[in-house]
Amino acid sequence: MAAVSIFATAARRSMAQALRSSRPATSSRPWTARLMSTYFTPAHEYCKVDGKVATVGITDFAQAALGDIVFVDLPEPGDSFEAKESFGSVESVKAASDVYAPITGKVLEVNEALTDEPGLVNSSAEDDAWFIKLEVGDESELGELMNAEQYKEHCEKEAH
Amino acid sequence: GKPERLVNVEAARDDGVLVLRRFSGGGTVVVDHNSLWTTIIGRNAMLPGVKPFPREIMAWSAESIFGPAFESWNREISSDRSRSDIAGRKRGRQTLVFQGKSCGFSGGAGESLILPSKDTRQQSLEENSPPKFELRENDYVFGERKIGGNAQSIVSGGFMHHTSFLWDYDLSNMAYLTLPEKRPEYRSDRSHDKFLARLKEYHGQRSSKNSLWAHMKKATNDRFELEEVRLDNVMKIAEDKFGGFQEWFDGKCRTKVVRL
Repeated sequence: MAAVSIFATAARRSMAQALRSSRPATSSRPWTARLMSTYFTPAHEYCKVDGKVATVGITDFAQAALGDIVFVDLPEPGDSFEAKESFGSVESVKAASDVYAPITGKVLEVNEALTDEPGLVNSSAEDDAWFIKLEVGDESELGELMNAEQYKEHCEKEAH
Repeated sequence: GKPERLVNVEAARDDGVLVLRRFSGGGTVVVDHNSLWTTIIGRNAMLPGVKPFPREIMAWSAESIFGPAFESWNREISSDRSRSDIAGRKRGRQTLVFQGKSCGFSGGAGESLILPSKDTRQQSLEENSPPKFELRENDYVFGERKIGGNAQSIVSGGFMHHTSFLWDYDLSNMAYLTLPEKRPEYRSDRSHDKFLARLKEYHGQRSSKNSLWAHMKKATNDRFELEEVRLDNVMKIAEDKFGGFQEWFDGKCRTKVVRL
C-alpha cells in the first residue's frame, strides 16, 4: 500500500541518518574522536546527543505522516521541560501535533529558520529542520529511548 | 499558520470579524450558524485500529461515522421522495402540496404541482441524487466539491478531529479568506464558490441540518454507546474545574483570539 511504502521508506531514512550521526567524527581536536548518538521516542521525535547538548526534532517518518508543514510553534531559549512534556507543536495543512521533550533539559537554542521556512521540516526533518537544542539534564533518561534499530521496528509496526 | 497569509486582514478587521487560531491547525474556515460542527476525541488505547496520523484518522471517521451517516441520510430522502411520488400518482398527475406536510416538499401553501411521467421521474431521481460521500486527499467531498473543513490535534495518547460541515454559507463571507498557498490537487485554482458545496443544495428542500445531525448521531450510536449531554453540563465542568468558561478560555485553552 502506498501509505505503508511511504512510511517504510521514511523509517529507513531515519535509521540511515541515525547511523551516520553515530559514526565517530573528527573534531577540531584531532586526537579526540567525538561520538554523537541518536535516540528516538515512540512519538517520533529524535534526539541527537553530543556531549551535554541534545538536538531535538521530529523524524522523517513523522513529517511524512503529517503532510505539508505550515507552522512550527517553538519555546523560548531558557524554557525548561521535563521528559515527555510538550514543548511545542508542528502544524500541517490538516493537523497540529504536539512535540515532546525526549529528555529533561533547558532550551539552549531554537531553530529560527523554521519561522519563515516551516517546509524545511518536510525536506530536511532530521538535519536542517531541528527544533530545539536542549541542555541534557539527566543522562540516564537516554536509556529509556530507542536506538535506530528499535525505532525502525517501531515505525514498521505502526505502518502495518 | 500566519494570519496575514490566510485571512484578508483588512476586510476582517474593517468588518469586526472574530478570528480564532485553533490549536488543531488545518485550513482556515469561515463558520457561522449555517455550519454543522462535529468533534471526535479519540484515545489511542480505545481505538487500537486507528493510527494517530491525519490521513488514518480521516479514513476511519469517513468509513465509520460520516460515510454511514450520509448514506442513511440519502436513503431517507430517496424513500421520502418515492413515497411522495407514489402518493401523487394515486391522486392523479396533478396534486396539491402544502408547506410543512410530510409529503416532503416545502413550498407555498396550496401550491399545485404537475408530477412528471413515471419514466422521467425515475431519471430525475437519479439526477438529483447527490454524489457519493468520499474522502478525497484530506477532504470530505461530494464528487469534486468539498463539503466541510477538517482539522486535527494529535497528542500523546490520542487525537481530536473536528469538522465544520457546510450546510449553507454566505458567499460574501468567503471574501475574508485568501486562496490558500497549499491546496489539494483536485481543487486546482477553483475559487471558494466553485470548490465548496452547500449540503442543503442536495436535499435542503426535503431535509434540514437537524435531520443530517440526527443521522450523524445514529451512525455514531451504531458504533459506540452514545450518551447525550447538554451544554449546561459542559459549562458546569468549566465552572468547577477551571473557574468558569472565560477563565478557561483566557488561561488553559489553546485556541486563542487573533488580534488583527
